[in-house]
Amino acid sequence: MSELGRLAVVLGFLVALWGIVASVLGAIRRDDRLVASGKHAAYAFSGLTGIAVAALLTLLLQHDFNVEYVASYSSSSLPVWYTIAALWGGMKGSLLWWTFILAVCNAVVQVQNRDKNRDQMPWVTATMLVVGAFFLSLLVFITDPFERLPFTPREGSDLNPLLQNYWMTIHPPSLYIGFVSTTVPFAFAIAALATGKLGDAWIRTTRRWALFSWFFLSLGNLFGAAWAYVVLGWGGYWAWDPVENAAFMPWLTATAYLHSVMIQEKKDMLKVWNMALVILTFSLTIFGTFLTRSGVISSVHSFTQSGMGPFFMYFLLAILLVSIGLVVWRLPLLRSRNELESVFSREATFLLNNLILVGIAFTVFWGTVFPVLSEWVRGVKITVGPPFFNKVNAPLGVALVFLMGVGPVIAWRKATATSLWRSFAAPMGTGVAIGAIAFALGARNFYAVLAFSVAAFALATVWIEFWRGMRVRQAMMGEKAWTALSRLIGKNRRRYGGYVVHVGIVMIFIGIVASSVFKLEVQRSMKIGESLAIGGYTVRYDGIHQESDDHVDSTYALVSVLEGEGAAAVRVGEVRPEKRFYKKPKQPTTEVSIWSTLRDDLYVVLGSYDPPSQLAVFQVFVNPMIAWMWIGGVVLALGTGICMWPSYSERSVTAQARIPAGSRPA
Amino acid sequence: MTVPCGVRAPLVATLATLVLGVLAAGLAPGAARAEIATQYQVETDLTCQCGCGLTVHSCNHLNCGSGIPLKKEIGEQIAQAKTRDEILSHFSTKYGEKILSSPTTSGFNIAAWTVPFVAIALGGLFIGVVLVRWRRFTDGPDAAAGVAPPSTTDPDLKAKLDRALAELDRRS
Repeated sequence: MSELGRLAVVLGFLVALWGIVASVLGAIRRDDRLVASGKHAAYAFSGLTGIAVAALLTLLLQHDFNVEYVASYSSSSLPVWYTIAALWGGMKGSLLWWTFILAVCNAVVQVQNRDKNRDQMPWVTATMLVVGAFFLSLLVFITDPFERLPFTPREGSDLNPLLQNYWMTIHPPSLYIGFVSTTVPFAFAIAALATGKLGDAWIRTTRRWALFSWFFLSLGNLFGAAWAYVVLGWGGYWAWDPVENAAFMPWLTATAYLHSVMIQEKKDMLKVWNMALVILTFSLTIFGTFLTRSGVISSVHSFTQSGMGPFFMYFLLAILLVSIGLVVWRLPLLRSRNELESVFSREATFLLNNLILVGIAFTVFWGTVFPVLSEWVRGVKITVGPPFFNKVNAPLGVALVFLMGVGPVIAWRKATATSLWRSFAAPMGTGVAIGAIAFALGARNFYAVLAFSVAAFALATVWIEFWRGMRVRQAMMGEKAWTALSRLIGKNRRRYGGYVVHVGIVMIFIGIVASSVFKLEVQRSMKIGESLAIGGYTVRYDGIHQESDDHVDSTYALVSVLEGEGAAAVRVGEVRPEKRFYKKPKQPTTEVSIWSTLRDDLYVVLGSYDPPSQLAVFQVFVNPMIAWMWIGGVVLALGTGICMWPSYSERSVTAQARIPAGSRPA
Repeated sequence: MTVPCGVRAPLVATLATLVLGVLAAGLAPGAARAEIATQYQVETDLTCQCGCGLTVHSCNHLNCGSGIPLKKEIGEQIAQAKTRDEILSHFSTKYGEKILSSPTTSGFNIAAWTVPFVAIALGGLFIGVVLVRWRRFTDGPDAAAGVAPPSTTDPDLKAKLDRALAELDRRS
C-alpha cells in the first residue's frame, strides 16, 4: 500500500508538471489538443492525489507501524475517528491533505468550467497545478509520507493528546479547505491577467468560491477557538499565537475582498485593488503554511522544525513576484473609470471598511513578525503577546463594527442629509440607549460600553432593513409577515444573506467583548463538600472518580453547579472537570467542564488532585456571553448559505444550459 | 463655515484616523503603570517562559516550572509596595526583555505600537486623496454632459436579458 501511495505521489507530481507545460503552451499556441491534454492532466493529478490519500488512510487504519508516519502519529488503541484525524495530525500527512483538497477543488473547477471560460481555463489549470506540483514536490523530494522504517515497532507513538478532541477533527480540515480554496480565485485572477480579459467575468465565476473559502476560513478560526477553549484550559479561546494569526490574516483580507468586489461589480471600479486582495489572500495562506513549518517564529501550534521553511519562502516570493509583475504589465487594462459622487456613499464606506480590515491584517502581521524584526535590528528577543494585539486591535474592531452598521444602509452613489437621518436616527438612538443601559448596569469600561453601543447600532440597522423590506412587501403584495420576509430574502439572497452574516459577526463581537472585559475567575483548593461562590454561581465539590483503560487514565471531579449564593442557592446541574494521563505518549491533559447558558459560561478546571487527602485545586471562571460567539458562528453559516444558494434565475439559466439546444421549447 | 468639497474627504479620513489614534493612545502600555501594581496586572504583563505562549496569569500548566515561581516572585515584589513600572523593570532586567508580554514604549519598540496606526493613517490619507480625485472626475465635463451612470441592473433582469439574447442567437 505504501508503494502505491508513493507511486501515486510521484506520478501526480509528473502529471502536474506535464499539465502546466501543456496548458501554458496550449494557451500560447492556441492549440486545443494541448489544452485538452492539460485538462486531462489536471483530472489525473486529482485522481492520483486521491489515491495517495486513500493509501495513507488505509495504512493508518491497518496500523501498519512499519510506515514511519503511521508509527509516529497513531497507535492500535487510538479511536478510529482520531486515527482518521492523524491523516492531518503530522506534517507529512498535512501536506498531502493540503494537496488533496487542492486536487478536489481543481476537479470541481474543471467540471464547472468544461464549457465556459475557454480562454482562461488553461491558465487556471496551469496555476492550480503549479501550486499542486509545489506541494507534491515537497512530498517527493523532501519528506515522504510513505517512508518505511528499517524495523517494525510493536506499537505506534500515538497522536498528540491535545489533538484527540472532536474540535480538532473538524478544525484543521475546515481551515485547510478555507486556505486551499483561495487558490481558485487566485488562479482565475492570474488567468485574467494572463489573457488580458480583466472584465468582471472572472469575478462572477469565482464569486461563490471566494465566499466558500471565506466561510471555511471563518469556520476554521471559530473551531480553532472552540478547541482552545475546551482543551487548553486557561479560560480563553484566542491567544494571538503566530499560527492563530496566520489563520486570521487571510480571513481579514478575504472579508475586505468580498466587500470591495461589490464596488467593481456595481461600478466597475477598484480593479487593481481587488486583484491585489485576491493575490494577498492567497499569499497569506502560503505565509501561514510557511509559519507552521519553518520554525522562524515559535508557536505552540508549529510542527517540528523541518528545514522546509526556505522552500515555502521561495515559493511565496515567486508567487508575489509573478503576480505583481503581471499586475504591473496589465496596469493599463486595469485602469477603470473611477467616479464618486459623494464621500457619504456606500462606495466610500466600503473603502473605509477595506482600510480597517487590511489595517487589522497589517497590525496582526506586524505584531507577528516584530519579534523577528527586533532580533535582526537590535539583537534582542522580545515578545509580542495578547496584550499588544488586544490593545491595538480594540479601536479598529469597534470602528469596523460601526462601519458594518453604516455600510448596508447608506445609499450607493450619494446619501443626502435627509436620507442619512432617516436611516440612522433610530439605530443611533438604539446604540446610545444600549450604551446607557450598560453603564447603568455597572459597566465602567469605556471600550465595553462603546462596543455594546456600536454593536446595538449595527444590529438595529440590519433589523430596520429587514423590517422595512418586509413591510413594503406586505403593503404592496398583501403578503403575510412570514411570507413577505422569506420572499424578501429569496429575491435578493446575496444582500439579505450578507445582513444575516453581519448579525453573526456582531454576535461574535459581543461575545468577545463581554468575555474579555467582564470575565471572573478564582482558584481554590477544596475538600469534598466544600463550595465556592463566583458570579452568581456556587460551585460545590462533591467527589472524585478515577477510570482507566488501555489508552488513558482519567481522574474527574463531580462538581455541583448551584445558581445563587448561600442558603438561597439552587442546584441546577453538575460538571465533571477532568485530568487525563495519556499512556502513549505519557502526557497529562486538562479536560475542562463547562456549564453553558446564554448569559455566561461557568468554566471549571481541575488543576490538581491529591489522592490521600482528596484535596483538589479548582480554577473556576465565569465567562460572560461566550455562547453568543458559537451561536454567532451558526448565524454566520446560515447567512453564508443564503448568499451562496442559487437564485431562481440562476437555477433556471443552469437548467436551460443543460437542455440540448435543439430540444428546448421555442 | 463651509468646507470645500475637495478638502472634505481627506479631512474626514484624517479625522477618523486621529480618533482611532487617540483611542489607541489611551490603551498603550505605560499610560497607567505608575500606580501601585496588582498581582493580576503584573501577571498579565509578563509572559510565561514554559513555552505555552500565554501570559503568566493565563498559563495553567500543572506544576509549571516557570509560571508558578514567577507568580510567587510577583507577589514578593508587590509586597515591597513597588509600582507596576518598577516591578516590570525588575523582571526585564532579571530575565531579559522577552519576559514582557508586550513591547516597551522606548527606542525601536515604539515602532511596534506606532507603525500600525501610521500605516492606517497613511492609508486613510491615500483614500481621502483618491476620493477627491474621483469626485473631480465625476464633476468633470462628461458628468456635466450627462453621461449615464454605470449599469446597476438587477441580476434577475440581467439573467432574463442574457436568456433572451441567447435565444435570439439561436434563432438567427
